[in-house]
Amino acid sequence: MQNITRIYALSKRNIILRYKNSFAGFLWGFLKPLLYLLIFIIVFSSQVSANNYVLYATSGLVFWFFFSNLTHQSVNSIINSNGIIKSINVPTIFFPLSEAISELFNLVLTLVVFLIAMHWFGLVYSPLLVFVIPAAILFAIFSFGLSLILCSLNVFFRDVGILWTTVQPAIFYLTPIAYNKEMITKNYPWVVYYNPIYYFIELARTILYQNQMPNLSLWGICFGIAGGMFLLGYVIFNGLKNQFISTI
Amino acid sequence: MNTKLISFKNVTVSFWQNDFGVHSIKDLMKHRKQPFSNKIILNDVTFDVERGACMAILGRNGSGKSTLLRTIAGLIKPIKGQITINGTFAPILAIGAGVELELSGYENINLLLSLYGRYKRNSNTIQDIIAFSELSHEQLSMPVKRYSSGMVARLAFSISIANDADILIIDEVLAVGDKGFQQKCMDKIFGIKAEGKTILFVSHFTEEVMKICNTALLLDKGNLIDSGTAEEICNKYMRLFP
Repeated sequence: MQNITRIYALSKRNIILRYKNSFAGFLWGFLKPLLYLLIFIIVFSSQVSANNYVLYATSGLVFWFFFSNLTHQSVNSIINSNGIIKSINVPTIFFPLSEAISELFNLVLTLVVFLIAMHWFGLVYSPLLVFVIPAAILFAIFSFGLSLILCSLNVFFRDVGILWTTVQPAIFYLTPIAYNKEMITKNYPWVVYYNPIYYFIELARTILYQNQMPNLSLWGICFGIAGGMFLLGYVIFNGLKNQFISTI
Repeated sequence: MNTKLISFKNVTVSFWQNDFGVHSIKDLMKHRKQPFSNKIILNDVTFDVERGACMAILGRNGSGKSTLLRTIAGLIKPIKGQITINGTFAPILAIGAGVELELSGYENINLLLSLYGRYKRNSNTIQDIIAFSELSHEQLSMPVKRYSSGMVARLAFSISIANDADILIIDEVLAVGDKGFQQKCMDKIFGIKAEGKTILFVSHFTEEVMKICNTALLLDKGNLIDSGTAEEICNKYMRLFP
């Protein structure tokens, strides 16, 4: 109970801090994907063979920005909370965890707006849409696992944070979000199939765009990647956490 | 009932320290060595604190006082030795400890109280904090980054003492408040002491130490070189600086 309050308080802090002193505040959560969507429509819509490009791109973008914001915020979560870590005995894992939770909260808001707005662009309402929730949770577990690795290594080597901001756009363009995967798989199939994020985007898109139940093997792959990444992240984080306080 | 509230037995604490100033992967590649070495910060420290005692920790800058406090509070795990604690802590009170600069005073009160684990907050607690800090509504509504260091200390001290913990840890906070607030803090500390709670106190002002504390530890380069009554240790401490 105590710990739930702590995580809640930290998540609330993250949300307040993120939009403090900004004029548009929460709207940025929607403006960012919207801006990218406009660019994509201009650049890609004539190249990509999708029946409904707006829905196709948006369903991918919403989930990409969830991943990108979550990892971006978490990378510095330990370093930025050094004041608290040095004076209050709170389990350190709460700091990246609270980032993940506040980002999930953001995703829920975005999805609500998405579901309403995309109806005009041909999103079919059906009970199947409920499966977006487990898909989002799996993606969140994967992202949280990766954040654990990034934030704990970043304590010792600040390169990790810088490197991650640099690598992120590259991953973005290598993941079939704005375009069909066939554009890459023709020549470089491994770029897509070794990219874990592709599977999560595919999972969400099957539900939102194709309005179909993803097949079991796709669920299985996502479950495996998410679980594996979480375990790896947890082991690394746990191994390093006792030395955080001396380094930050 | 155990009267020993805190018991340290041969406790050794070490930090990873990078010898080459390795802070980037480039440096790591160049040296191709283990980038970190263990540096002993506290070496084989053994002491006990009785319930209701008021103990000072003295020593030069960098002698390991803050590390000792953090180890007592459970923030740092020792590599060797045994620690037994039979009580709850108020958070370490250092200048601006845990205060989030971007948040307002009110938001900080809520955040820190939740982090201390006080999930049943009542408005009384918050009223007490506000009253003790003597900060105005206007000041509490603005981000803490605009506060003076004295105001931050007021806020942090007020939040910390609102905690109903057995052990209060004070790490050189009283130096920045103004005369009035210092006096108020001292009164409060005496009050807490009178309630039979335990206080660990780090300060370089030997007069304060002798007023508040009964016993004291003297640290030097991570070694516990002496312990005894506050007067004895304060005199020894003064002799470190001829």
